[in-house]
Amino acid sequence: MASNVTRGRFLIGKCIAHNIENAAQVRVQRMKFDSNLNMYFSEHKHYYAHDPEQQCKDGDIVLIKELPEKMTKAITHSLVKMIYKYGDVVDPISGKKVVLNKFRDQVSKRNEMFGVAEDGSGGFNYAEAPDRGWQEGKKDLTHKVGYKKWHVFEPGHPLHDDPVAS
Amino acid sequence: MPFMKGLAPIRRTLQYLESSKLVLRERVQLVSVNYNTHGEHHKGVQEFVFWHLPQLQYKNPNIQIATFRNLTPTPFIRIFLDDGEDVLMDVDSKSRPEIYDHFRKIFCKSDSKLAQEEWERQSRDNPANFGWGCDRQCICEVPGQVPCPGIIPLPKFMRGKYKSGKA
Repeated sequence: MASNVTRGRFLIGKCIAHNIENAAQVRVQRMKFDSNLNMYFSEHKHYYAHDPEQQCKDGDIVLIKELPEKMTKAITHSLVKMIYKYGDVVDPISGKKVVLNKFRDQVSKRNEMFGVAEDGSGGFNYAEAPDRGWQEGKKDLTHKVGYKKWHVFEPGHPLHDDPVAS
Repeated sequence: MPFMKGLAPIRRTLQYLESSKLVLRERVQLVSVNYNTHGEHHKGVQEFVFWHLPQLQYKNPNIQIATFRNLTPTPFIRIFLDDGEDVLMDVDSKSRPEIYDHFRKIFCKSDSKLAQEEWERQSRDNPANFGWGCDRQCICEVPGQVPCPGIIPLPKFMRGKYKSGKA
């Protein structure tokens, strides 16, 4: 019966870096009404969604749903489905992969027409590039939660020159 | 008029927000609008978001209405129903009135449904009600009930003064 369904059951948000395993931290933006200005302003909230297969990388846009009971103290929601994968966004109307405001085949055709540069580089080749995640842990450290560098450790220390510290 | 500043401040009036007819149907759980900030074919959606998104959120305060900008080349409105199934609405190169009419027809409650809900809320269908806005103002007008104490004083056992021993 439609009247028994609670309104606003699903939430859509962006995944961000977090420290909890088997979960995805999702930043959800809601609009809040300011009764003085009669205007809506966006406010964000963070939720931890249960993701056992760890398919959510940060930057992905996902759909989450509140669990009937809290799984742990932090994990209150569960992942329903991935909407747009970061770096591999698929346009739902045409089904083609896109890069911002262009289709990938448009970009490759344009590169073909321009031709290859003198040094041999032909621009980024999306078809031949490996999947996102091959640099994770080496150069891609977006999955790690950063912290402010308050102290410079000596060269022998494990936290010396930590790439995550800013 | 100190607060009527900014672009089209009429959007920030209660009259404008309350006069909106964009009440979403029961099955709609989430609304997401994808559009770009530049592009001729995105103009219709940009205007729709500018004029009608606050109205839509005002009438549906519990539903998340998300906007995703500069993600895909084509603009669209994606609505999530219960069970996670989604409905796509293509708004490429459409004008704002076209998008508004199409959106209202498919996702919002019709005029007749809104009027019926308004009528139910005012509970005009129950003739037994009394009070402001009904046929009878007070229960004392109903034959068989206690008559108005302003005309005929109440018997002593019904008066608080007598009961508390102060009469």
